[in-house]
Amino acid sequence: MIEISNLTKYLGKNSVISNFSFPAQRQECLGLFGAEGAGKTILLKMISGSIRPTSGHVNIFGFDTQSHRTQACKAIGYQPESGINHPSMSVFSLLNFIATLRGFHGIEKRSRVGRAASRLELSSVLSYPVHTLPPGHKRRVALAQAILHDPGVLLLDEPGEGLAPHQQDKIRTLIQSLTEEMTVIVASRDCEALSGICTRALVIGSGRLLADTSVPELQRGSRHFQAVTLAAESHLDLLALAVLPGVAGIEEHRHSPGTVTVLAMPGHTIYPSICALIANRNWQISSLKLEPGRLNDVVHQLSQEAPH
Amino acid sequence: MNLLPVFKRQLASYLSAPATYLSLAAFLVLSATLGLHTSQLLERSSSDLQGIFEWHPWLYMLLIPALSTQLWAEEHATGFGDFMKTLPVTPAELVLGKFLAAWVMVGVALLLTFPFVMVVNVLGTADNVLIASQYLGSWLLAGNYLSVGCFICALTHQRLAIFLLTLSLLLMASGLSSVLDALEHQAPIWIAESLISLSPYLRFGMIDHGVITLKESLYFLSMIIAFLATTTVILNYKSG
Repeated sequence: MIEISNLTKYLGKNSVISNFSFPAQRQECLGLFGAEGAGKTILLKMISGSIRPTSGHVNIFGFDTQSHRTQACKAIGYQPESGINHPSMSVFSLLNFIATLRGFHGIEKRSRVGRAASRLELSSVLSYPVHTLPPGHKRRVALAQAILHDPGVLLLDEPGEGLAPHQQDKIRTLIQSLTEEMTVIVASRDCEALSGICTRALVIGSGRLLADTSVPELQRGSRHFQAVTLAAESHLDLLALAVLPGVAGIEEHRHSPGTVTVLAMPGHTIYPSICALIANRNWQISSLKLEPGRLNDVVHQLSQEAPH
Repeated sequence: MNLLPVFKRQLASYLSAPATYLSLAAFLVLSATLGLHTSQLLERSSSDLQGIFEWHPWLYMLLIPALSTQLWAEEHATGFGDFMKTLPVTPAELVLGKFLAAWVMVGVALLLTFPFVMVVNVLGTADNVLIASQYLGSWLLAGNYLSVGCFICALTHQRLAIFLLTLSLLLMASGLSSVLDALEHQAPIWIAESLISLSPYLRFGMIDHGVITLKESLYFLSMIIAFLATTTVILNYKSG
């Protein structure tokens, strides 16, 4: 489906992407995770064909983005990070314009524009000029135009940023349903939010591919994997928690007194014994949570360890 | 082919921008006042509009940069220009579509000078073929200047820089004739002649005086194609 091989980009003398390779299949949702300035956006731009790589190739459905740019462009939907802005067009005319450039006419064009607008809930703002919309709407306009032509590869750059929480949920649901039809590559700084929908996680740091695994695998690398966070109204006996079998350590939350995170040793499960201890001591617990592992920490740590 | 959507889009953005109407109005007012004041068109009851058209090379120096700043600058400022690179549009289609839209706008400006044609026809016997050829010549000259504007737009995205660079490049081209006068006695005759043949201002003068010839039209068309091709090459190069 999509094959990226030895992609390298130099800006001046600095390499921003070096020797980046990965394949992606249909019905995969790739999360591209990394810190700010790790090279996520520039990588997506290179895949979309708007920036030419210094060396290496991007192959989309058998078309190289450099030698067969137009064919490759047709198979790609790209949502830029800042959303879409235009000095004079309204949302409707912008979507129409892009649908025309994508080669749609007449009834089909109208139905596709209508469908994309309703999927992103843009129907109420269709007549407004794009530049007057708030950033969240601009991002949704950008998403709407990206899925207009049912692309084979969908590139999303921070799709949830700046959106209200319930909108973020909707975007996640949308991405999940789109994954059934196409390859989705979604770049984000906030990995936690996307952990549920990504089938694969690529970690990028200083332009290098640091990890290419599944999300659970990445979570397993976190020191908070299998950790238990509990908040109590009464005083907690930390010593009793610490001597439980398999407990590696206890972190007290500085900002919310009474809340602690109990870390588990690798390969151990501590949740049942903590539950038993709570029942035994009759602690008044206000929240108890088993953590799946903190992805943001893992990505941050991987980026720190990476050679610069 | 995506030429038509780009052309329509650009035409729509010209028609929705107040700056377009302002520059067209300024062009028309200046063209009328300067033409009528200097040539005594109405008093002489001349059969053509030479008095008006001879001002056009100079008036275009204001109108063309004003139109060409609207070609790319705004879209670039909002990041839309970069986004367009991810759509299946080739730089050639983009350049040609935008250029044609701007050229049509100049055509509209020229058509709006039609009251002069009526006046000349009413007041005396007008040579309408000559007038038509003058219109065509003026439009070709404007196309030539616009292609220079497109070329500058590919180099820079700053409005003021586009305006000033286009203006100075056009002034240089027009000033070529006075340089040639000075060169006439020093330089070998073939250099002067080949330079003369490159000046759009002198070419336009030839059309202005008489009926348009194939040679002159081809000169303007080939200049347009040359500048637009250069623009496309620059855009292709820049996307790297």
